Amino acid sequence: MSFALHRPTSLAAALALAARHGAAARFLAGGTDLVIQIRRGRLAPAHVIDLSAVPGLAGIAGTPEGGLRIGALTTLKAIERHPAFAGGARRALAEAARVVGGHQVRNVGTLGGNVVNASPAADTLPALLALDAEAELVGPGGTRRVPLDAFLLGPGRTDRAPEEVLTAIRLPPPPSAASASAFLKAGRRKAMEISVVCAAARLDLGADGRCVAARLALGAVAPTTLRVRAAEALLEGHVPDAGRLAAAAAAAAAATRPLDDVRASARFRRHLAGVLAGRALAACLGRMGNGEAA
Amino acid sequence: MRLDFTLNGEAVAVEVPPDWTLLQVLRRELGLLGTKENCLEAECGVCSVLLDGRVVNACILLAAQCQGRSVTTIEGLGDPERLHPIQQAFLDHGAVQCGYCIPGMVLAAKSWLDENPGRLPGEDEIREALAGTLCRCTGYQKIVDAVAAAAAALAKG
Amino acid sequence: MDGVATERRVVGRRLPRLDGAGKVTGRMVYAADFALPGMLHGKVLRSPLPHARIRRLDVAAARAMAGVRGIVTAADVPAVRYGTAVRDTPVFATDRVLFQGQAVAAVAATTPEIAEAACRAIALELDPLPAVFDAEAALAPDAPLLHPDWASYAALPVLAREGNIAARARMRHGDVEAAFASAHRIYEHRFATPLQHPGYTEPRAAVAAWEGDGRLTVWCNTQLPFDMQAVLAEILDIPSGRVRVVVPGIGGGFGGKLRVGVEHYAALLARRTGRPVKVMTTTEEELTAAYPRQATTITLRTAVDREGRLLARQGRVLLECGAFANSGPGSAAICMQILVGPYRTPALDLESLAVYTNRVAAGSFRAPAGPMANFAVESQMDIIAEDLGMDPLDLRLRNVVREGDLGPAGEALAGVSVAECLERAAEAIGWRERRPAPNRGKGLACSWWMTTGGSSGVFVRLAPDGTATLVSGAVEIGTGALTGAAQVLAEELGLELEDVRVAGADTRDAPFDYGAQGSRTAFSVGNAARVAAAELRRQLCALAARRTGLPQEAFRLERRAVVGGGHRIPIADLARESQLSGGGLIAHGTYINPAPPYDPTRVENHPLPVFNAPSFHAHAVDLSVDPGTGEVTIHDYVVAQDVGFAINPTWIEGQIEGGVAQGIGEALSEEIVYREGRVLNANLTDYKMPTAQDVPRVRSILVECPSAAGPYGAKGVGEPPCIEPPAAIANAIAAATGRRVFSLPMTAEKIVLGEGG
Repeated sequence: MSFALHRPTSLAAALALAARHGAAARFLAGGTDLVIQIRRGRLAPAHVIDLSAVPGLAGIAGTPEGGLRIGALTTLKAIERHPAFAGGARRALAEAARVVGGHQVRNVGTLGGNVVNASPAADTLPALLALDAEAELVGPGGTRRVPLDAFLLGPGRTDRAPEEVLTAIRLPPPPSAASASAFLKAGRRKAMEISVVCAAARLDLGADGRCVAARLALGAVAPTTLRVRAAEALLEGHVPDAGRLAAAAAAAAAATRPLDDVRASARFRRHLAGVLAGRALAACLGRMGNGEAA
Repeated sequence: MRLDFTLNGEAVAVEVPPDWTLLQVLRRELGLLGTKENCLEAECGVCSVLLDGRVVNACILLAAQCQGRSVTTIEGLGDPERLHPIQQAFLDHGAVQCGYCIPGMVLAAKSWLDENPGRLPGEDEIREALAGTLCRCTGYQKIVDAVAAAAAALAKG
Repeated sequence: MDGVATERRVVGRRLPRLDGAGKVTGRMVYAADFALPGMLHGKVLRSPLPHARIRRLDVAAARAMAGVRGIVTAADVPAVRYGTAVRDTPVFATDRVLFQGQAVAAVAATTPEIAEAACRAIALELDPLPAVFDAEAALAPDAPLLHPDWASYAALPVLAREGNIAARARMRHGDVEAAFASAHRIYEHRFATPLQHPGYTEPRAAVAAWEGDGRLTVWCNTQLPFDMQAVLAEILDIPSGRVRVVVPGIGGGFGGKLRVGVEHYAALLARRTGRPVKVMTTTEEELTAAYPRQATTITLRTAVDREGRLLARQGRVLLECGAFANSGPGSAAICMQILVGPYRTPALDLESLAVYTNRVAAGSFRAPAGPMANFAVESQMDIIAEDLGMDPLDLRLRNVVREGDLGPAGEALAGVSVAECLERAAEAIGWRERRPAPNRGKGLACSWWMTTGGSSGVFVRLAPDGTATLVSGAVEIGTGALTGAAQVLAEELGLELEDVRVAGADTRDAPFDYGAQGSRTAFSVGNAARVAAAELRRQLCALAARRTGLPQEAFRLERRAVVGGGHRIPIADLARESQLSGGGLIAHGTYINPAPPYDPTRVENHPLPVFNAPSFHAHAVDLSVDPGTGEVTIHDYVVAQDVGFAINPTWIEGQIEGGVAQGIGEALSEEIVYREGRVLNANLTDYKMPTAQDVPRVRSILVECPSAAGPYGAKGVGEPPCIEPPAAIANAIAAATGRRVFSLPMTAEKIVLGEGG
């Protein structure tokens, strides 16, 4: 490792540094991915811009329209423990945050870092996709918002320009009163796992019991976190009975483009994708039945 | 790069390269060897320390990230004559074998107990709290028992 | 009896370990922590290819880098080949590299980062050669030979070697052909186990410093300091008396720190640079170039009669040594004793082959051979039970050895407790009450193991305050074995455990010990301490006799005093008196665990034909399998282990709980994965050791069926607990799912999709 370290104390200063060093610079949030990638030689930035002294980048707050704004530097631990995710419609995010590494990593690792790192196996990303998250970016041209599924372009690649800072993740309000989400993960161990497959789902039901909106997203089965629109389409407008859920799960498995690697074969990943997708959707329904919905 | 931080309750100022981790500062610059070194990728947890009271992996924490903050290492917890209640519980319950993971285990336990004051954790909660630190000797059982006992002792005050 | 109090006050009690406070406070200095002023840091350049000819090795550019102080390659060291069973291992690759990870050069520099950069700056050009990556392929007639000069290597005389076969051994007796011909049923299965890393949390590390007079001191985390001393002397071509090996502290070993790892590189670099040099492994080096458990392929054929009695067993073990034999010949051969298991086997014909391949030179991870062979035999026992419609417990009880039966080498078995272990483990897990439940099952496995021999010497000195120092060359790797030995000494001297201090392993100052291996330390050092204690009692009673005028026989040691004839003289008084008048109280003790007699016609070319002071054990597990994901959740785990006598139940439980955790890793998650001779998971992200959430609570049942030789009847306890978990878990998975996995680790993928993907 060898780099110059910068510690701007304002967003403007951070942007100026980014503009000056361009692709030679990387932003440092918690560093739990970045430092390992630098040490493994996968990244070799000449400049590291530590964002921890920039005010206002951490914290979770409600938005006027009833959504949530999660500062990019909010730690995974803060998400895990925040009441906004303790139950109800956004529970999937806490469930995902809670299974990233050990407490050591979650006390430092940030949601923004997780998003910018854009690992196809990242646990928080399917949950964020299920919750219709948007990335909020600030750059020389001002602030812009990008839906997360458009933001994630490939392994380690996002729509963020080198001179932009990811400042927050925004979650819109759930579209119906009956909404629940769930996150599930499969790995070789019960903790400290990079997911072999992970899945997040959200279901919103109308007063007639029909599905107003469905979201299903999978991790570690494609070059990016995969939102399975085909499965969502099978559910939306219908009563999500067992047959519909099974069809959606099958569609999820069919949509995967997994790899064979040291953690699992493509065939097993596809199998797990179907299993976890079905279970995540069923968990959403179960939670609504338990009166847990938002 | 000049680094100012609080280490085990005392103000420290050191001059270190910008790419150094906290682990390098502790072990190489300050000679604090109780924080152990192994995988260097946040997988084994032997390098665990407390940053503002919460357990972190010193191996992947850049020293710069500690600027102005408070770090506690195992040396800041207790000494052989005045053990911290968690350390005492580890001894009383036979939780220590080779001992290389133990400083990290003790600090992971302290972090969780401080984060959940007064709580008497169940076995599953303790195992979850410790999962970021690998132990290859003990099978964790006596460590889990020690943490439960320490929680009870601390709750009594 | 001979001056010792009759009531046991120290042994058998749950006393705290002697080195605990230093460990919980972070004050304990491990080899990885050790440093000297002016010390340089060494790094090793390792081969990126599994088999290649070295076309060019040029260190000039690296040597010229700022901060680089010295480089050594094969050209700089004596052309020595060293090795445990076969002297086949060079310090650095010479003309060819034989595995990915083999050392090619070592660099010393002012910082580890510079040394690492210098390794990258060394020009190493390799021409790839055809390679073999599994034992079966290495046996093919046209397979490339790893060691074309194999016949010229020195080796243990007992070994039979040829080409890629580093050792071939056999155990046989009875009329196997007739037994198979008359069998009610014959079963044949093939089992496979992978390379698995010992997983010690402290990397291997050494600091070497030469004194002006050609003497070398190495501070390192070896389990065998005296073996290390001898090997370093050989490699460095100096008399062993000039090598001092000190083990400051060791963060686990489990057999992975038995053999020279980085010590020789540190010593060579220190000699080259004239400065102390530290070398410490990275995790990548650990997973490509350490001493993992060898991979095996085991074929086992068994003949049974209508009632499920074993008639004969036939089988072949292929154990992959990797590029160098190391402990492979011994491990392969021991597989045969474990394949017999603690079962009466009227006819037997087993063969074991230790085979070279172009993968890492493997080693002796805790109970080497144990988990692999036990997985085979105990999986097959359950298959037989199911086929015959018998309860697996009943099938085992029908066949287990009993007191006085003959073991596989024809040795008379004593202290046999396997039936009791099975019954107690089964009862605790609720075996007889088990009900079929979807995706939930219970499994059993039993085995036996040795208490390794090898000698131990100790000095014991009584200080004028009445406390004792136990000076031993043994290594406390964490098991608590030396706290156990200290308990034995305290017991025998009428002291409390807190009165005993143990002096650390240092080949210059401590008497010889065969080392921390083979479940022997508490047993062997404990016995040596008893001998020394008897001599000290004689000295103390003689002093008391002189002081009182009573006969020596009138006295015994009790509660820190010499007591008898109405007198009670504190040991401290006599120690002080002796120090003024007689040079102080000092004694030594030595012990070697004798090998039992056996029938040499039953074994061929077996380096370890018979188990000393064998222990017996049974494991029982209750688990469930998620039918969708294949995730295994262990609900209950019971171990009934015959420990002979529990010197300190806490530390024995610690061995059992830790061994089961390792066994769960072996069973479910751990494997060094290779593709075409290269490791795919050389990091702890993808080498999966169990976390606190993967390991269940383990219930230990300590069975005490005494051995004739151990202190108070103790048997070795350290290795056995990791033997049975793979088999017990395999049997429970089969019970839960109706599917059996024949290879380790039994991953979720194999459970759900079957083997072969």
